[in-house]
Amino acid sequence: MQIETALLIGALFACATWLILQRSFVRILFGFILLSNAANLLVLSMSGRPEGRGAPVVGETEMPLVDPLPQALILTAIVIGFGVTAYLVVLLYRLFLDQNTTSVSEMYREEEGE
Amino acid sequence: MNAAVLPFLLPLFTGTLTLFLGKPGTARRAFLVASALVQLGVAAWLIAENLAGRPHVLLAGGWASAVGITLVADLLAAIMVALSSLTALAAVLFTCFESRPRLEHPLRLPLVQFMVAGINLAFLTGDLFNLFVAFEIMLIASYALLTLEADDWDIKQAYPYLAINLVGSTLFICAAGLAYGLFGTLNFAGIITRAADMSGDPRILVLALLLLVVFGTKAGLFPLYYWLPNSYPILPAALAGLYSGMLTKVGVYVLLRMFATVLPHDLSGVHQLIAWLAGLTMVLAVMGALSRNFIRGILSFHILSQIGFMALAIGLFTPLSIAACIFYVIHHIIVKASLFLVGGVATVLNRTDDLDRMGHLWRGTPWVGIVFLCQGLSLAGIPPLSGFWGKYLIIVEGLRAGEYILIGASLVASLLTLLSMLKIWLAAFWSEPEGVAVRVDDWRWRPLLGVVGGLTVLSLGIGFGAEAVMQVALRAAQAALDQPGYVELVLGAGGKGGG
Amino acid sequence: MIGPRSWIFQVVVRFAFFIINVFALYLLLRGHNQPGGGFIAGLASAAALILLSLAIGIEALHRLIRVDPVRMAAGGLLLALLSGAGPMLGGAAFLTQFNWHLHDLPLLGELHVGTPLVFDFGVYLVVIGICAKIIFVLVESTEGLPGLVVEEERRYSSPLEEPIEERPAAGKEMGRDAD
Repeated sequence: MQIETALLIGALFACATWLILQRSFVRILFGFILLSNAANLLVLSMSGRPEGRGAPVVGETEMPLVDPLPQALILTAIVIGFGVTAYLVVLLYRLFLDQNTTSVSEMYREEEGE
Repeated sequence: MNAAVLPFLLPLFTGTLTLFLGKPGTARRAFLVASALVQLGVAAWLIAENLAGRPHVLLAGGWASAVGITLVADLLAAIMVALSSLTALAAVLFTCFESRPRLEHPLRLPLVQFMVAGINLAFLTGDLFNLFVAFEIMLIASYALLTLEADDWDIKQAYPYLAINLVGSTLFICAAGLAYGLFGTLNFAGIITRAADMSGDPRILVLALLLLVVFGTKAGLFPLYYWLPNSYPILPAALAGLYSGMLTKVGVYVLLRMFATVLPHDLSGVHQLIAWLAGLTMVLAVMGALSRNFIRGILSFHILSQIGFMALAIGLFTPLSIAACIFYVIHHIIVKASLFLVGGVATVLNRTDDLDRMGHLWRGTPWVGIVFLCQGLSLAGIPPLSGFWGKYLIIVEGLRAGEYILIGASLVASLLTLLSMLKIWLAAFWSEPEGVAVRVDDWRWRPLLGVVGGLTVLSLGIGFGAEAVMQVALRAAQAALDQPGYVELVLGAGGKGGG
Repeated sequence: MIGPRSWIFQVVVRFAFFIINVFALYLLLRGHNQPGGGFIAGLASAAALILLSLAIGIEALHRLIRVDPVRMAAGGLLLALLSGAGPMLGGAAFLTQFNWHLHDLPLLGELHVGTPLVFDFGVYLVVIGICAKIIFVLVESTEGLPGLVVEEERRYSSPLEEPIEERPAAGKEMGRDAD
């Protein structure tokens, strides 16, 4: 699983980078969403061997447990990513309303013409 | 033991309460100023406690540091918290005097409080992931403040700021994940313990470089600083003071904390890299400053140039240079914030901060000129002002380390800083062009200047009492560099569920 | 929403709205020991709000929800903070939690309650408030209505400046560096 996960993370990062470098607002938005997902996946893949790392509230148990910390981290990162994505959507929407364009290059080109 | 959380909790509580209780008004402002004063008092008390040898550690929820959230208020953190409370107080007062409550944006001051909460949490936190959360609180508040009162043109400059910080945050999560994979813990004390057994492991080097990229972006180091000089000038003066004083310095603080306290001290290659990046930042940024023609633009580039000095001090990595870095941060935050604010006062008087259309300020309002001169010369490093001592120590340490090229670069940067300060001085204060009026009748400039004056007196005090401040900085540096001491402090706090 | 609304959709949504909210409450209450909690409960409720806004339109929704969403979020945050800071008064650490296991209650039998529930409820309110604010602003501005309340309307960056004259000069200056 390690190799597949690593490949998936790499592919996600590559796609995200490509999308962010595009000119269209929508692609940039998708790029950032992919980027945060790729990072979350990376954290998840860092779950080490679970022995001795069970949640401290569980106590001793026979059940196989997973390492809880990366999941807690991802949950936090997802919440933060949710907030930032919402902000990004609104910012891009306002840029669209103000500048009448959905292309980054056009947005900054107008400036030169002034 | 709960004292360590107060600098985070108080601003968060204040911000929430002001948001909950609604509209701007005199009562709300009085509450905010009172809260800022209390925060400053708490921070001063934390410094006093540290000087008395009692650093505070909080284990949130009583859980041990291995499983829970740890907050550590050691001397360095306490100093930084005091500085952020001070700048926040100045920003709140400046906002209050700048406009009548009716004109104030209802979300501005609550967001300032949220941002200060995030900044303080970043200073106090004792683990890497909580640091990420602190950064995000701070950054989300800063995104919001940046665009809150922006017009059509300003809003375009906010996009690069957001984009670079989003990428930085993503890399930060990755670094936190990799650190967890490497050390099996994210707690600073835990990382120190584990890393001691892994001496010379190349993976630590990779992690250190990744962290350098992340925090170098936030601090504004050489290849990754282009987002700053275009986004900061769109802020209103009160907020620009806070941003320029605190946000990049959080990056510097974290670099200091990471390389001095958390990571092993034998990463000399990375330290060398930081020093060289710092040298490039200093020179290139100050040239950028010379190319600008309005006050906030010039000052924004100066932030970067000064970041170079602090990073150079970290890169030299001797106990004295770390202390010099802390001294420099103390000096820089106060001076930089007050320069942005005095720029704001000049803007009130001239109704613009475009240097081509400013003038007569020296004749009309000499006190503004005196304040600007004090702080501008201090930034350039003229003795006996506060900026001189920090630079002097960094240069002495650099010469001792034999980094002659970098020292030469820093001297050139200082000279060019002086030059661009003279540019503002000549255009805004001494020039007497036709058709430019000084609006002395505008009542606002006196209380605004009072706020800046307070900061200036403080900065003069640092300059003349440099010996005492330096002693404190030396103790902070010793505590920050003392890895076994830090581990003992955190693990000694006990807590349940550990081991 | 533009165009005629489907009657079937409206009726279904009115039912679904309550079912989703009951489910959200269920998620909120089970969050202490099982998957669930304030955040996803808040998201579920926010999803219900989106559905309702599609069905009855944003203006009707505004009339229905009189609370200012930002104030609701602030109240939730206050509640969460107080649940964390409360133990500090008694000398316990910040965020310390207390749980009680109650027996022999009428109707309910056994019940496990604790201060984390207060925290979760605060988070729930924060999430609903913020999501509602985002929905209102976005839907209103896409329908051509003013998205923000009067006090939040944008102003020029500082009341200190008279921006109309200033912009081009500063703009040109920075435009040169931006490319």
